[in-house]
Amino acid sequence: MKNYIYNIIKPKLQGDGGEIDFISLENGILTVLLQGECSKCLIVERCLAWIESEILRDTGEKVKIVAQKKKPFFWDKD
Amino acid sequence: MAHIKVVRRSMRPEEWTDLRFGWLKRYIYNEKYEIENLTVRDARQVAEMQYEYYPEGWRNLRKGDMYFTPDGTAFFKADVTVPEHLRGKELWFSLKTAAEIIVKVNGKYVGGVDPNRDRILLTPYIDSDVLHFEMEGYNRSKPDDERNPESLSVRGCRQIFEGAYLATINHTVLDLVYDLELLLDIAKSELFNEDYRSFLNREINNALNLIDFDDLRNEDVAEAKKYVDDIIYANDDYKGNGDVALVAHSHLDIAYYWRRIHSVQKNLRTVLIQLRLMDRYPDFKYTHTQAYTYEMLEKYYPDVFEELKEKVARGQFEPVGAMYVEPDCNIPSAESLIRQFMYGQHYFREKFGKTVRNCWLPDVFGNSWILPQILKKSGVDYFVSNKMSTWNDTNRFPHNNFIWKGIDGSEVYACVPPTHFITWNMPSQIQENWEAYQDKNLGGQTMSMFGYGDGGSGCTEEMIEVMHRFNKLSVMPKTEHMGGQEFLEKNLKDNKSLTKWDGELYLEMHRGTFTTKSKMKRCNRQLEYKLREAEIISTLRHLKGEEYPHAEIREIYKKLLVNQFHDILPGSHITPVYRDAMADYEEIGQRLDKIIGTGSKYFNSLNFPRTHLTFVPDENGDSTRYGKKGNWMIPNLAPLSSGEIRKDEFSGEWCKVGEKVVTPFYEIVFNPDGSIESLYDRVLEREWVNGSFNKLVLYKDNPGVYDAWDILPNYTDREVEVKVISPLEISENNSEVLSFTCILATEKSTWKRIIRVFRQSRGIETENIVDWQEKHVLAKAQFDCNVLTRKAVCDTSAGFTERETHRNTTWQQARFEVCHHKWVDMAETDGGIALINDSKYGVGLLENSMSLSLLRATVRPDVTSDLGHHEFSYMIYPHGDDFIKAEINNIAFQYNVPLCKADLSFESSFGELYMQAMKRSEKGNMTVIRLSEQNGKRGRLKLGQSVKLLNFLEDVIGETDTVEYKPFEIITIGIE
Repeated sequence: MKNYIYNIIKPKLQGDGGEIDFISLENGILTVLLQGECSKCLIVERCLAWIESEILRDTGEKVKIVAQKKKPFFWDKD
Repeated sequence: MAHIKVVRRSMRPEEWTDLRFGWLKRYIYNEKYEIENLTVRDARQVAEMQYEYYPEGWRNLRKGDMYFTPDGTAFFKADVTVPEHLRGKELWFSLKTAAEIIVKVNGKYVGGVDPNRDRILLTPYIDSDVLHFEMEGYNRSKPDDERNPESLSVRGCRQIFEGAYLATINHTVLDLVYDLELLLDIAKSELFNEDYRSFLNREINNALNLIDFDDLRNEDVAEAKKYVDDIIYANDDYKGNGDVALVAHSHLDIAYYWRRIHSVQKNLRTVLIQLRLMDRYPDFKYTHTQAYTYEMLEKYYPDVFEELKEKVARGQFEPVGAMYVEPDCNIPSAESLIRQFMYGQHYFREKFGKTVRNCWLPDVFGNSWILPQILKKSGVDYFVSNKMSTWNDTNRFPHNNFIWKGIDGSEVYACVPPTHFITWNMPSQIQENWEAYQDKNLGGQTMSMFGYGDGGSGCTEEMIEVMHRFNKLSVMPKTEHMGGQEFLEKNLKDNKSLTKWDGELYLEMHRGTFTTKSKMKRCNRQLEYKLREAEIISTLRHLKGEEYPHAEIREIYKKLLVNQFHDILPGSHITPVYRDAMADYEEIGQRLDKIIGTGSKYFNSLNFPRTHLTFVPDENGDSTRYGKKGNWMIPNLAPLSSGEIRKDEFSGEWCKVGEKVVTPFYEIVFNPDGSIESLYDRVLEREWVNGSFNKLVLYKDNPGVYDAWDILPNYTDREVEVKVISPLEISENNSEVLSFTCILATEKSTWKRIIRVFRQSRGIETENIVDWQEKHVLAKAQFDCNVLTRKAVCDTSAGFTERETHRNTTWQQARFEVCHHKWVDMAETDGGIALINDSKYGVGLLENSMSLSLLRATVRPDVTSDLGHHEFSYMIYPHGDDFIKAEINNIAFQYNVPLCKADLSFESSFGELYMQAMKRSEKGNMTVIRLSEQNGKRGRLKLGQSVKLLNFLEDVIGETDTVEYKPFEIITIGIE
């Protein structure tokens, strides 16, 4: 899963100025770290749902994504 | 006593007007016919015009469905039969989207939709009632939209499809909508007369009162429109003043929050939209920069390019800018900037039969003092650049229309428009432009650019429609829509009232871009010299009968020039843009190595004797630099010739190491962290150190939202602790070099410093090998020199510029971080210290101190920026006399230009001039040699034969056997 996130998902999010890192996968809960544009995206839940469906299609694994956001200080007011 | 804030909850009359305006817009479309058989296919672009498709293939797309994916391109198609009730009517296509979509119908590109426009006129471009739609969309990545902040709420990689329609327009409603758009902008702007705004609020309300919004009838809308004409437009009691030229433009970053591969479609969409507006509005003129974007359009969309050519011929579509791309104008060398013009102008001449007379750089981060000469000798008389007026953080740049005098005395007409290069042509923006204009009564009209930009897209129907109404409003400045060159010639040409700016156009912002993405700067520097070498070697081989690799060199050069774009080389871009650039650099290096080839002897490509100690790689060598074995040797190679290099046979003791390190030149006291406590010059009998010297200092670097761009003046407030992990100790000691190594570290990063002193050189080198894992940290090397001076001298790549080091006025205060090239020097009249680098550009100058910027660690737009391994070096070079007598520039060339192997020579002397380039002419009929005066001297060069004098476009402008040159002049000669 970690490789999938790094090799398949990460480059796509980077293409929109975003960033994702794998934190853990336990009991079907995939925890990821979102940075960059993803950290302030107001509709990121749509994207997370899409990632879940991509994972299901490509790996057959059904996961629920929990995202931690690391927003830089200059976006904290947003 | 308790204070109760009174909040007005009832609707103000102006809000009631806004509400009705919103309702009116709902009636713009007369009829809408939903296209229900649309299918979509998701993909991701992997190269220019190449896509990887998602496995789902084509799927139906219905209103409410999700569409687009991260970094995704989506393809759409549908076959639609125009319903009976829409046939014969003016037909539109409507699609509201946050993405950028190019629309093709029955094989013809009809236009584009994006967040700034949601409809395309179809009628003139279709000749059938059966429509085959093919569309390509790239999800919009522009990080902000100043006009519609609410659009941020829907900006993201997954969008909800809002439906696609065939539609007809109610022009009565639309006309009134444009009137109200215009009038409400004035009514809401404090820049306009308060009484007039009251008048507007009252009369707009009266006009809207004629419409029953519960039962909207066309006759009522027409009545309201008539009221606006008769009462509002007819009123000329309120007089505005000013004279503003409206110039249409769309700024297109060829890479930024998107990769270069995406700009092919961004450019197509932008051009297409402007062409369609030209079809509808014959008076509409538009300016478009960057020969590269034209090349891409021609290559991939030849039909649209043919249309563009027609519009150029009709004077509506205006190529501006002259350059190949809009490059950064701080970091690229003079020769790179010359090539930007040469390749740009050659393209414009070949395709459009015209030499572009202006340089158009709305968004670049400051402009080097060497530019005016480069412009003039590239057929360019005018310069346009916006940022100094609107982005300076300290001083108001004092001119808008003026003369810019360059380092060599060349003068060009310059326009720094008073406002941003992205506006939507609203009266308040035009009024703001006029009020900000500083050359009223002297400079003629002021330029206001309009059109959306950064990601392209450009002008809209609305911008043109409101523009057509401006002359009905007495309260507005007088406006005139015109082309870019037209504006410049009308207002600046032969204008004797213009004032003069003599100096660089320093931008008081974005000072971090001299340093961000350090590896790119290093690659760019190395490849600029390697290209120079490849051209020289290829030319000399050609003179011996070999074929000159014209096409290959041209292609490689263009690839390097593209990567000098002002959001690529400065480092202000997302991760994939960085990867693309590094891959390009790798490819360029390999292709150049192939061209350069090898030989049995070492070749000195410099046109002066190579006499300074140089590291020559050799796997059997007894020294190490950047992890490679080699020897430190004095090549003693004559100019432009090859020969054997022999290592000096020296077996004596040349240095002593105790409390002090004693070399033939110095007595040095080092600190454990590699900094120097004392540097006593045994030859000049003076101490060079007065404080921290060669000290690595790390600062917290939190510039805010312009993270990759900016360094703030308070960056020294907080230092980051640097610990000595392994104190300085001897790591190498041989007949030429004595090296010391120490390892420093923060909590996250390690920094190896290798400091070298030499038997045969006054230079003291510091090699840096860094594992950099910081966030928001700026690394500098600090040098507090025992030198009393009020100025420092900085290399520009084509001469030097003097910069004050005091903080007497806000102008010096703002320049706390400046750009330099290979070296910076601080000196008294009889000696000083030069700091020569192999890849750095940012330097801070304060009184007697220099701080060389080494690395940054920014997170926006790229959270991975600069993380990882770095290697770079710099050399402290104390000297007697001034920097010219000490030949600092020549030493810096030798420090930056590695020796290569080639068995070639060229008999010629160019005196003190630096041979910046030697190449075969683009036409292949002569050898072109470019010489640069770099020491600020006037002189005469006798060539011993008659040569052609050329401009930078390689046009013959004269013939001579003797060249008279001015300080800092760059001369091009052609030898047939």
